[in-house]
Amino acid sequence: MGYIELDVLNNADPSVVMGIDLGTTNSLAATWRDGRPIVIRPEGGSGSIPSVIRFPPDGKPVVGRKAREQAIADPAHTIFSIKRFMGRGLEDVRDDLVGFPFPVTETADGLLQIDVHGRSVTPQELSSMILMRVHDIACRTQGGEQIPRAVITVPAYFDDAQRQATRDAARLAGIEVMRIINEPTAASLAYGLDRTAEGGRIVVYDLGGGTLDVSILSLEEGVFRVLATTGDTRLGGDDIDRALVGLITESLADKLGEEELADPGLQQAARLAAERCKIELSTHPEAEIAFIVPHENIHFRRRVTRDEFEDLIGELVERTLDACRRALSDAGLAAEEIDEVVLVGGSTRIPMVRARVEAFFGRLPHTELNPDEVVALGAAVQAHVLAGGSRDMLLLDVIPLSLGVETMGGAVSKVILRNSTIPCQATEGFTTYTDGQTGIDFNVVQGERELAADCRSLGKFNLKGIPPMPAGMARVMVRFHVDADGLLRVTAREESTGQSADIEIHPKHGLSDADVDRMLEESLEFARQDYEAGLAANLGTELGTMLRACERNLEVAREQLDPESLAELEEAMAAARSAKDKTILAEVQAARDALEQASMPLAAALMDDVAKAALSGKKLDEV
Amino acid sequence: MGSPGSERAPSAGDAASCPYCERRLETPFCCVSCEQLFRPEREPTPFEAFGLPLNYGVDCAELERRLLRYSRLVHPDFFVTASEDQRLIAEENTAALNGAFEILSDHARRSDWLITALGGPSAGDEKQLPQEFLMEVLEWGEGIEQARGAPAGSEARTALEPLAATLEKRRKESYRELNASLVPPPELGDERLTQARRLLNAIRYLDRTLEGLEALRLEQTSSH
Repeated sequence: MGYIELDVLNNADPSVVMGIDLGTTNSLAATWRDGRPIVIRPEGGSGSIPSVIRFPPDGKPVVGRKAREQAIADPAHTIFSIKRFMGRGLEDVRDDLVGFPFPVTETADGLLQIDVHGRSVTPQELSSMILMRVHDIACRTQGGEQIPRAVITVPAYFDDAQRQATRDAARLAGIEVMRIINEPTAASLAYGLDRTAEGGRIVVYDLGGGTLDVSILSLEEGVFRVLATTGDTRLGGDDIDRALVGLITESLADKLGEEELADPGLQQAARLAAERCKIELSTHPEAEIAFIVPHENIHFRRRVTRDEFEDLIGELVERTLDACRRALSDAGLAAEEIDEVVLVGGSTRIPMVRARVEAFFGRLPHTELNPDEVVALGAAVQAHVLAGGSRDMLLLDVIPLSLGVETMGGAVSKVILRNSTIPCQATEGFTTYTDGQTGIDFNVVQGERELAADCRSLGKFNLKGIPPMPAGMARVMVRFHVDADGLLRVTAREESTGQSADIEIHPKHGLSDADVDRMLEESLEFARQDYEAGLAANLGTELGTMLRACERNLEVAREQLDPESLAELEEAMAAARSAKDKTILAEVQAARDALEQASMPLAAALMDDVAKAALSGKKLDEV
Repeated sequence: MGSPGSERAPSAGDAASCPYCERRLETPFCCVSCEQLFRPEREPTPFEAFGLPLNYGVDCAELERRLLRYSRLVHPDFFVTASEDQRLIAEENTAALNGAFEILSDHARRSDWLITALGGPSAGDEKQLPQEFLMEVLEWGEGIEQARGAPAGSEARTALEPLAATLEKRRKESYRELNASLVPPPELGDERLTQARRLLNAIRYLDRTLEGLEALRLEQTSSH
């Protein structure tokens, strides 16, 4: 396993922990202090960092608030909602590519590649840039010491590939992941219901920027046990924005052609305007969509009433209630049996969403905590528990989607069922289908459908070396192990021979360990280049000083140098003049070393001069 | 060791005692008295994992209480800062415990495990349903097929309404029969094991059909 050991624990206080909510729209860090979780806020800031990256045509990427501010002026170089791309293939993200500023391709392994000004980057690397920024600001706000370990949250409904991608992003950011936990579960921890409520059943309705999660938990003596979780990784605030953008493009359709409408600059400007309008509609009965696209000469303005908005999103909100119905059905509960309802995610600020959820469960939902902060706070609670800070509370989470193996004929044999508590393991027996078959191909899938083709393939592997025997005689035991982060490991073993295969499931749409190592090396390489460029600049300055000294002294001592030394010195000085502004360390270093060497005779001659001057008129014994 | 507790030779089926505090071990994963973590010598059966007798009947409330009690001792969340070995044991024990819980807490999975463990036919070996079931199965399948895609409130849909109740009733009956064929545990080669497998096949079929009906119901509610 190619993990890079991060030797960062040495001087850090292990009890200082961090929870990070890596969100579709915003990301946020929290920590545990004085017996409660708090958001880490830089002075005068909210602590929330937009999950936005801007790549100006030249120069360095900008992450966070600045990137978001500049996005309005330069939407064509700005990436939003990268979380939607995590662990996905090109086919999965088709809808998100409308108005996406950079070309996106897919490798043979199904890994997404975003071509940013000629450099290929993966969603994992982009997410790692966001994580690095959040982590860096949080560490600096906390007094500058490195806090290497963190709990990172993901939507409960994220599948294995999406969780792997998140873990890899954290590794690329140099963060040691203590645990990956589910966002709705984190939210329930943040409310401290273990202290305020007697126990009972809790529903968490989490409608974020890009994803919906509905989780049902039971709380008993400090143990939060998830009974069922369901959701939709492609349903969230972005879709609400998109509905409003639809309204915009409809109005523009008679003025602009299809190609002009698809212009990334226009699409991003429309998206941002739609989002502003949506937010305003949460507190006002009507709001305006307004934006300008200078290069298209568009000045768009349109009023939207709340009624109109609610008509637009009604079906979408209804879909979120379907998820609530499914979760209840999986948990074997009726809506009336729910004791507490917790609302999470910025989209739960929409009055219609609140009203519908309240009506559905017949309970006033908890909204005391800021829905944008509650997930990070909960992650900090869990980080505190994991760091050994408390044994009073325990979280038992589940796997959101069933895991299985494709069998003959394309059906799925489920090995671990959805809503199984994690970590979890299960073993399933398989056999050969033809006489003398010496190998079996396994396709590991995740999903609820009966046919493998309708589920998501997590990876394929082959067990070789089965001794030839009649069909059906081999006994191959396939063992699935899901760890506490919800990540799967599969091993297979043929019982009669003990032939085994420990499968690194090659993650489809994911990074291999080798990829992660290479990316880490590359980022170290970039860091090294930066460092060297700095050194080269310093050396260049020094070289300039040396050069000026040589020029000055050569005027005085030229006569005393033999012709050979003089020629060497003049050559080295010429080389130094051309090298002193270079950024490549080795070149500057070589020029400096050569000049030092070539100027020795000059220095010796000067020393002689000085010595002569000093000693003139003095007797030898006076020296 | 010489102490009274350990001199007693453990007989087959007798639970071991804790090497540290010598109390009887409820579960092979940990000692609930001195909170010591163990790595079981061999993979325990689901019943052994929870210290329950090999029995068709399981008290689900007790099972859940035990899950929470053991989880509080072995869960990896409490071993993040422990040695790597302890971390690994905690992770493996909890995974095994949860795997066992999934089998024991579910009627059908528990029966499946028991039938195989008692030497009965596996689901792959014995695919038949009880005779009286076959006709009914065809009838139900037809009704559902007609209702799929039919609009809410249509005749095909309303005709389905009593079906769920019928299926639930048949499911209860089948479980009663299953209970009769597994209690007391049949000997190896007993015809009751084949009978049990066939009943379980019927229950699986009923479960799938009920799931299908539930999906239809959800679809219907959301289209309102």
